[in-house]
Amino acid sequence: MLAKYIARRLLASVVVVLGVTLITLLLMDRTRGAYVPGIDFNPSLRPEDIARLRADLGLDRPFYEWYLSWIWGVLHGDFGHSMIDGSTVMSHIVDRLPNTIELTATAILIGMVVAVPVGVIGALRRGSKTDHALTVVSVAGFAVPQFWMGLMLILIFSVTLEQHGLPWLPSSGAYSPFNGGDVLDRLQHLVLPATVLSFFYVSTWSRFIRSSMLEVLSQDYIRTARAKGMSERRVVYLHGLRNALIPLITLIGLELPGLVSGGLVVEVVFGWPGIGRLAFERALQYDYSTVMGVTFFATLLVIAGNLLADLLYGVLDPRIRYG
Amino acid sequence: MIGPSRVAELDMPAAGIETGTARPAQSYWNESWERLRANRIGIAAGILILIFAVIAVMAPLFSLILTHYQPQTINLDQTFMKPGSTHLLGSDELGRDTLTRLIWGARVSLGVAFLTVAMSLTLGTTVGMVAGYYGGWIDDVLMRLVDTVLAIPAIFLFILMSILFRPNAFTLAAIVASVGWGSVARLVRGEVLSVKQRDFILATRSIGARDTRLMLRHLLPNVLPVLIVAASLGVGQIILIEAALDFLGLGIQPPTPSWGNMLTNAQSYFFRSGFLVALPGIAIFVTVLASNMFGNAIRDAFDPRLKS
Amino acid sequence: MTQPLLEVQDLHTVFSTKEGTVKAVDGVSFELHSGETLGIVGESGCGKSVTAMSIMRLQRPGRIVGGKVMFKGQDLTRISEYEMREIRGREIAMIFQDPMTSLNPVYRVGWQVSEPTRLHNGWDARKALSSAVNMLGRVGIPSASARARDYPHQFSGGMRQRAMIAMGLTTTPQVLIADEPTTALDVTIQAQILDLLRDVNREFGTATILITHNLGVVAGMCQRLIVMYAGKVVEAGPTADVFANPKHPYTWSLLRSIPRLDAERHEPLKPIEGLPPNLVDLPSGCAFHPRCVFRVERCARDVPALIQVGGTQRAACWVTQAGTELKGV
Repeated sequence: MLAKYIARRLLASVVVVLGVTLITLLLMDRTRGAYVPGIDFNPSLRPEDIARLRADLGLDRPFYEWYLSWIWGVLHGDFGHSMIDGSTVMSHIVDRLPNTIELTATAILIGMVVAVPVGVIGALRRGSKTDHALTVVSVAGFAVPQFWMGLMLILIFSVTLEQHGLPWLPSSGAYSPFNGGDVLDRLQHLVLPATVLSFFYVSTWSRFIRSSMLEVLSQDYIRTARAKGMSERRVVYLHGLRNALIPLITLIGLELPGLVSGGLVVEVVFGWPGIGRLAFERALQYDYSTVMGVTFFATLLVIAGNLLADLLYGVLDPRIRYG
Repeated sequence: MIGPSRVAELDMPAAGIETGTARPAQSYWNESWERLRANRIGIAAGILILIFAVIAVMAPLFSLILTHYQPQTINLDQTFMKPGSTHLLGSDELGRDTLTRLIWGARVSLGVAFLTVAMSLTLGTTVGMVAGYYGGWIDDVLMRLVDTVLAIPAIFLFILMSILFRPNAFTLAAIVASVGWGSVARLVRGEVLSVKQRDFILATRSIGARDTRLMLRHLLPNVLPVLIVAASLGVGQIILIEAALDFLGLGIQPPTPSWGNMLTNAQSYFFRSGFLVALPGIAIFVTVLASNMFGNAIRDAFDPRLKS
Repeated sequence: MTQPLLEVQDLHTVFSTKEGTVKAVDGVSFELHSGETLGIVGESGCGKSVTAMSIMRLQRPGRIVGGKVMFKGQDLTRISEYEMREIRGREIAMIFQDPMTSLNPVYRVGWQVSEPTRLHNGWDARKALSSAVNMLGRVGIPSASARARDYPHQFSGGMRQRAMIAMGLTTTPQVLIADEPTTALDVTIQAQILDLLRDVNREFGTATILITHNLGVVAGMCQRLIVMYAGKVVEAGPTADVFANPKHPYTWSLLRSIPRLDAERHEPLKPIEGLPPNLVDLPSGCAFHPRCVFRVERCARDVPALIQVGGTQRAACWVTQAGTELKGV
């Protein structure tokens, strides 16, 4: 039953992935005929070299041929070569992906750890000053541009602190290029970007948990739980929270594309060497085999995340049957 | 069975107007309006947006009589000025007046936002109505397309398209709308599916009304509340997206000032002037905050079921 | 007469709403003796459920503003929340109207039924579960040890109500409050659940408060009953006497509005005229007077007290207190 469900979902995903890559390619193809700056304007290449390179990269073929051979390659685990530096797209992704995962996972973790209690407190003390204050912070959180928050944090915690001779936080990269790279160094670099990302998650999720918790707390089974004589804490966290978290799982699954997009902007602001920034930089350089590879990969991640969210939903809510 | 239909209910506004008539009753609009008027914060936010819009439209006038600077006037003797009498909100690395540039930047932000909303609503409503109304393979094809568009992390599309079309305000709006229509289409389709079941549609059909007439005269009025809510909630998000694209250098290009590209510049001069970083961001923040609060008020007024 | 097990004295519970203060429970008093089954009857909104919830101190957002709930020598309205938790689910258990929603959907039935003993008796999971399975079997759930591993949605409505009853009984409480336990169930299932409640009462000696809007249910189950209207007790007495000779026009009307198999003649059913009163803005005098066919001039002016009328009953009605018999109109 479950296997069948997963199989059907994966089949539907294939259509989506093909659609995504086709759209990406069509968009890039419009620029393709013109030039690839890294090749065409490379002064150390002779014209015949340029022609040979273009042929190697398949740039002289019509886009559908290129697409089919690209798909063929992908099916065999070959994402092709970068048009800028000639190394494999896969090696770029393998290089950058761990950094993105480090940042995103940290932010999601912080987001959950903060958002759940904040949402629960808001629900339990509905209408109180605490609740209003939390609401204000969350509404503000929706309206702050992530990149600007990043800039402000850099301004305050890197620039201003440094100007006053105080200990300051690094504002760029995932680790220091010299004598860096140990855990403490990486953590220091992680603080600011993870704060920006998780702040946004907290403001979205805490609202959601609050309203979901309010809904749950008005349910009959909560009354049953209270009538059994258990402490309010047990009522809320054991009987309430699990029910309240179920819809959040779906929300996160749905928002995954948005999370990836937000992550890209933050990666750019903080010079974070993740796949988002890779795609951004390479797109500006018309390196479309790399862009296709990353887009494909990101879409796969989104689809996998969605499926995972659905499956998790089934684990948390025994009423769900996959059929 | 779980799928998109389950999750679609989560945070999407849906107007439940349980009338048997071809369109929401007059009283529905009156009541919604009354509810909106009773929401003071919402009204205040709406007025603020209106003021910003007026400022944006009259930007040339303001730079003439209020700031006495043009947004692109360079004055190398007055770079990185602090806010004061010469430059009310200071000046940037080329001595350009920050307030003037912010006022002109409002044109970009609000203009692109409204244009984008209009475009996504038009496209999304059309697709959603056609899919929901005709059903069958048309529905399947269109909804798979929506799935696809919504599955790509939007930023990738924005990047690619911005490279493809050197963006001006109009193309930028089109780019953002090319993703935004997807969720509108889902929303409208869902609403159409439920409206379609009601008797009056069958009755109208049975007297031989044409499809287009049925959609425009009978379905559209019924999905209108959903559209109003979606539109008002969308403005803030779009301002944020637009600003981010400008910031990344993918949107409105300098020297035309926009809140986003002002921040791109400011990034290079952290050590010279904090105001250059703070001010455009505050402009974005306040505008988006007001839009969101107005949007929430609209949602509460037009769809009381969703009020939290 | 022996000391009552539970004694509610002049209980007042109010709710603050935008329209004003709602006196949901307005001076309710009654006693519950060991082993008996007491019925509380009234239309929805008359305060019978709030009374039950107030006994458990689960009336939130309502507030208890007066009166006492005496149970084993202590006033439940005054003890600490911690002490109250020791009473809830251990000494006084409660089951609710809608078994479909009263069980937590994400936990297994056995886990939920065993929760009170884990909580109150400090039993480990294994012991609590085996006692829960045992109890599920006793309330008539077939192959209980297997069904205990099911989730609530895999149970039928009747089964869920049986599970709720089992959950209430695992700690062998002295009082069981059943709030409309059969209202949400099919008619055939209703009878089974009532039979079960009767068996429980006999077998465990659990004193039961049965809250219902259905007089037919009371007739077969309860030794005594109280009738509530607009937050007040309007009539109280032994079930047989009240049925044979109601002393409050509201009870009288209720009895006339239910079909009776033992009716001597074929009388048409008479619905009660009018609507239940608005609790924010009660009628003056006796709250029932606008709907009452026996009303006299005084009814709109003074509020009648609940006093002895006839041999065994008490009623709050100027008409019957003056000695008038309630006869068909």
